[in-house]
Amino acid sequence: MERSEEYIKNERKKEWRVELQKKTKAKDRMAIERVKMSEQDPNERIKSQRIEVNKGLSAEQAVQEAMRCMDCVNPTCMEGCPVSINIPKFIKNIERGEFGKAASVLKETSALPAVCGRVCPQEVQCEQKCFYVEKLNQPSVAIGYLERFAADWERESGEIAVPECAESNGIKVAVIGSGPSGLSFAGDMAKLGYDVTVFEALHEIGGVLKYGIPEFRLPNAVVDVEIDNLRNMGVKFITNYIVGQTATLEDLKGEGFKAFYVGSGAGLPRFMNIPGENANGILSSNEYLTRVNLMGADSEDSDTPVLRGKNVVVVGGGNTAMDSVRTAKRLGAENAMIVYRRSEEEMPARVEEVHHAKQEGVEFLTLTNPIEYIADENGRVKQVKVQKMELGEPDASGRRRPIPMEGSEYTIDATVVVVAVGVSPNPLIPNSVEGLEVSKWGTIEVVKDKMQSSIPEVFAGGDIVRGGATVILAMGDGRKAAANMDTYLKEKYLSKKVEQ
Amino acid sequence: MKEFNSLEDILDFAINEEQMAADFYTALAEKMEHQEMKDTFEQYALEEIGHRAKLEAIKNGKEYKVSEEKVADLKIGDYLVDVDTEKTNITYQEALTIAMKKEKAAFKLYNDLAAAASDSASRDMFLMLAQEEAKHKLRFEVEYDNNILTEN
Repeated sequence: MERSEEYIKNERKKEWRVELQKKTKAKDRMAIERVKMSEQDPNERIKSQRIEVNKGLSAEQAVQEAMRCMDCVNPTCMEGCPVSINIPKFIKNIERGEFGKAASVLKETSALPAVCGRVCPQEVQCEQKCFYVEKLNQPSVAIGYLERFAADWERESGEIAVPECAESNGIKVAVIGSGPSGLSFAGDMAKLGYDVTVFEALHEIGGVLKYGIPEFRLPNAVVDVEIDNLRNMGVKFITNYIVGQTATLEDLKGEGFKAFYVGSGAGLPRFMNIPGENANGILSSNEYLTRVNLMGADSEDSDTPVLRGKNVVVVGGGNTAMDSVRTAKRLGAENAMIVYRRSEEEMPARVEEVHHAKQEGVEFLTLTNPIEYIADENGRVKQVKVQKMELGEPDASGRRRPIPMEGSEYTIDATVVVVAVGVSPNPLIPNSVEGLEVSKWGTIEVVKDKMQSSIPEVFAGGDIVRGGATVILAMGDGRKAAANMDTYLKEKYLSKKVEQ
Repeated sequence: MKEFNSLEDILDFAINEEQMAADFYTALAEKMEHQEMKDTFEQYALEEIGHRAKLEAIKNGKEYKVSEEKVADLKIGDYLVDVDTEKTNITYQEALTIAMKKEKAAFKLYNDLAAAASDSASRDMFLMLAQEEAKHKLRFEVEYDNNILTEN
């Protein structure tokens, strides 16, 4: 799909766009207040893991919000989108009531628009670059809400358009991991005419979208529709298949696969390594969330239950910590609390997630750090010893680092502790592929922007390269890898010199 | 406690300590299963050799002073459990833990020696050495803080 500046400008000059531009004056657009997302009542929504918090926009709200968009000559919002969605084009389609066309624009460059509309941190990406923020210091156009609206409208209408795919070139490529990066890559490669097979270690497709993000933020059904869309484009999915164990890359080469995209993510939990961390009742956020999200442990009669308790302490300040603590609340914890060593200002979690957690009654112990776990006579955790922290003077990088306050230690009662202090890359591929260059962090080394590893036919992206990032950055990697693998394969197997 | 009869004695001791640290990391590098961890420990060994060279320069007459500046102590290593250095699959998180704890122990040693020193020249020398170790420790703590405690 052509994404040149000229293309974007020409699109903007299309008759229907010009008509819309003239129809409403700039000052009238600017006078409209940013739409507010309606939410489920906190007391209702914490009754189930499966009630989505944000309700989405109505058609009237979406059209009104789309009118705020100035259809800028230079759409800076697009610079903030890792997958280069033609943002003004999809928004203007919403403004004129062509919701299906808006969804098609999203799918030109994004394999997962309904997902991104829900979990992307738009406030620090496209929306941060919006004209309203940059020039007027006002709230941006609600690009994320509109993206979700268009994608949901298409799904609910049942008229799901399948993106156009090039004629098959017969070249087989394998994707390792079915998370956002792998799915994004698979979508682009299918559009280019490749024979794409995605290998997934778990029994469900979706990777972190399914096992990591709870349904109250991202319903599995939404992910499934996006996956079905890829199936309709010819992408094949094989579950319960661990590349590196079930079969090696060499085995797959023997089956005719010419190139590989490794998007195996960062599913290796990280712990703090403080005394007592091996006590029963202390889980990684990966385990806790996977048991609930993927294995249905929130159901009372689940075959794979998860430990519940009155006092649940979640260690960490990222989105995973928020997902865990809000899950604990839904599983019946009376006291669900976040323990975070920096202040709220430094929390890596999205402001919206922190806000929702507070609405749901989650307690926040900031500038507080666990230093030891105390277990009962049965080896089950009963208390967390924590220490108060203060932020030190800014160092050379300008960052204020937390420093423990001597003598400030105290204990918190805990029946369950969930450790959400970050994740490490899945070690299976890095450890099982001879000649693959790996960093000291366990991430696969790739040529920047090409996503090609030290083995020419192996490309990689997402958390296995970044070590822990957002869904949309992982998707952006998938797109870059697809474009560069296409060049590599065409030159190697189709004798085509591809101009960069 | 070891007796020090001159500033040169103190420096010889410290130079030997740096060399022993370098040897420790080199030995760890040799037994690691994965190349990236071999490279990591070889890098740590090189850093220790750099510290040794700095002390050798002082022994050869380069001026030094005890700075008034207090080196920040994030105390991250203080609360972590010891890493088993016999294993061959140490992770980078564990490597940083080993390094933080080693530098902290050296800092504490020189601080204790400074407190026990009988003359001001020796005390200043020990304080300078303690401060150097505190800086080395901070370098590892900052790396741990930036890269390991990413969600915390």
